Amino acid sequence: MPNAGPTHEAVLAALRPIQDPDLHRDIVSLGFVKDLSIEGGRVRFRLELTTPACPVKDELKAQCERALRALTGVTAVEVDLSAQVRSPRAPGAVMPGVKNVVAVASGKGGVGKSTTAANIALALADDGATVGLLDADIYGPSMPLMFGTHARPQPSGDKRIHPVFAHGIKLMSIGFLIEPDMPMVWRGPMVHGALTQFLEQVEWGNLDYVIVDMPPGTGDAQLTLTQRAGLAGAVIVTTPQQVSLIDARKGLKMFEQVKVPVLGIVENMSYFVCDGCNKEHDIFRRGGGRATAAELGVPFLGEVPLESAVPLSGDEGTPIVRRAPDSAAAKAFRHIAREVARGLAVRSMEAEASGITQGDLSMAWKA
Amino acid sequence: MQLPAGARPVQLGQDGPGILTVRWSHGHAGRHNVRDLRLACRCAQCVDEWTGQARLAPDSIAPDIHPLNIDPVGLYGLSIKWSDGHETGIYTFEVLAELCQCGQCAAAEAKA
Repeated sequence: MPNAGPTHEAVLAALRPIQDPDLHRDIVSLGFVKDLSIEGGRVRFRLELTTPACPVKDELKAQCERALRALTGVTAVEVDLSAQVRSPRAPGAVMPGVKNVVAVASGKGGVGKSTTAANIALALADDGATVGLLDADIYGPSMPLMFGTHARPQPSGDKRIHPVFAHGIKLMSIGFLIEPDMPMVWRGPMVHGALTQFLEQVEWGNLDYVIVDMPPGTGDAQLTLTQRAGLAGAVIVTTPQQVSLIDARKGLKMFEQVKVPVLGIVENMSYFVCDGCNKEHDIFRRGGGRATAAELGVPFLGEVPLESAVPLSGDEGTPIVRRAPDSAAAKAFRHIAREVARGLAVRSMEAEASGITQGDLSMAWKA
Repeated sequence: MQLPAGARPVQLGQDGPGILTVRWSHGHAGRHNVRDLRLACRCAQCVDEWTGQARLAPDSIAPDIHPLNIDPVGLYGLSIKWSDGHETGIYTFEVLAELCQCGQCAAAEAKA
C-alpha cells in the first residue's frame, strides 16, 4: 500500500505546540507556516519569520523538523526559512520604502558608535536583510573610511541622489560630498538642512533596515533626526567607565523624551582579549553597561571586547564582521544585530496585535 | 486628561470650521477649539524661553484663526501651520492631552 502521508490538519496540529519565544504565540496562529505541501510522506513548507536576523531561527527550524518526523506517515521533512520584516512606520513618512529606521547613538564621542553602527548594518545584511546605513555624524563622518570608498553618490534626476553601494549595503555620508580633511564648520540650520536632504532626497528604495550613525551628544542633529526620520528605535553605545555611562543615560533620556523606543545598550571596549594568552582583561570597569541597562529598565544588547583588529578593520575599509567573522568582537556584533532585529520585530508585532499602529497624523484643514 | 503610558493620537479630524478632533489610542475622543490651541502655543516666540512670560497678546489673534496643515513631529508631537503664518510650535502629546476640551475633560477641569 502506498504511503498516504499525514493530513494537512495533522501537520498543523503537530506544529502548533511550537512557540515563538519572543512573541509568546505558536507559529501556526502567527501565520509563519507558508506554502505547506504534502506529497506522500514528504512534508515541505516555508517558515516565514519576522526578520532574517532572527536569533532563534535555527532552533525553530529544528523544532519543526523534530515535531514532524515524530508524526505518523512522515518520511521526509523540508523546512525553508524566509522572512517578512514588519514595519511600525506611519504612512507618509520620509524614506517610504524603508521598514525600520534605527538610530545608533552615544552620549559621548569616542566610544565606538560608528564602528557599532557599521557592524550592525553588515551583520544584518549577512543574515539576508536589505540594509542601508546613513552616516549622520555630519561633523565627523567616518563611513567612507570604514567602508573603504570615496565614491561620489550619483544624481538620479529630479534633485535626488543614489546612495553609494559598498559591501552589499546602501551607504550615504556627508563624507562622500567633501574632501576627506575638510572640517565641517556648520551652524544649526545648515545641519538641519543637510540631514533633511539625506532623509528626503536620497533614493533609499526598499530596505528592511536603515541604520543611522548619529553624531555624539544631544543637539541639533539628534533633534532633527528624532523629529524627521520616523525612528523605530535607538541603540545606545557606551564604554564601561562612569564618564561614558553618565552621558549614555542622557542620550537614553533624550530618546525617551521624544518617545523613540530604546532597543538597548551596547557596552563597547568591554574587556581586552590578550592575543598572547587569550585571557580576558577588564581594563575599564566591565559590566557598567549591563548595570546601567538594568537600572534604566532597557535591554542589555551585549558586550564587545577591545581587540586591535576592530579599529584596524575599520581603518582599512572592511569592518570586523566581514574581515574576521570568527573573532570575539564580530560574534558580539552579530549577536547585537540579531537582538536589535528581534526587538524591532517584537515591537511591530505587539503594535499590530494591539491595533495601535502609527496612524497618519497629517491633515489639511478645510477652511 | 492624564495620558496613560504609551498613549498617542491615532486620528485627527475636523468638526466644523473651528474644532479639531483627536482620537487617542486609549479610546479618548478629544476636542480642541483651534483658536485656544493657537493661544496655548508654547514656542519661544509665544512664551519667553528664559522667564516663561507670555509674549503673545491674545487680542492679536484673529477670531477666525485656523490651521492650514497639521503634521506629526517624530513620535511625540504635532506641529501646526496656522493661517497667520505661525508654525514654530510643537504640541507634544502630553500638552495636547492637557489642553483637551472635550465634555469629559471640561467637566473634570471645572471640578478641580
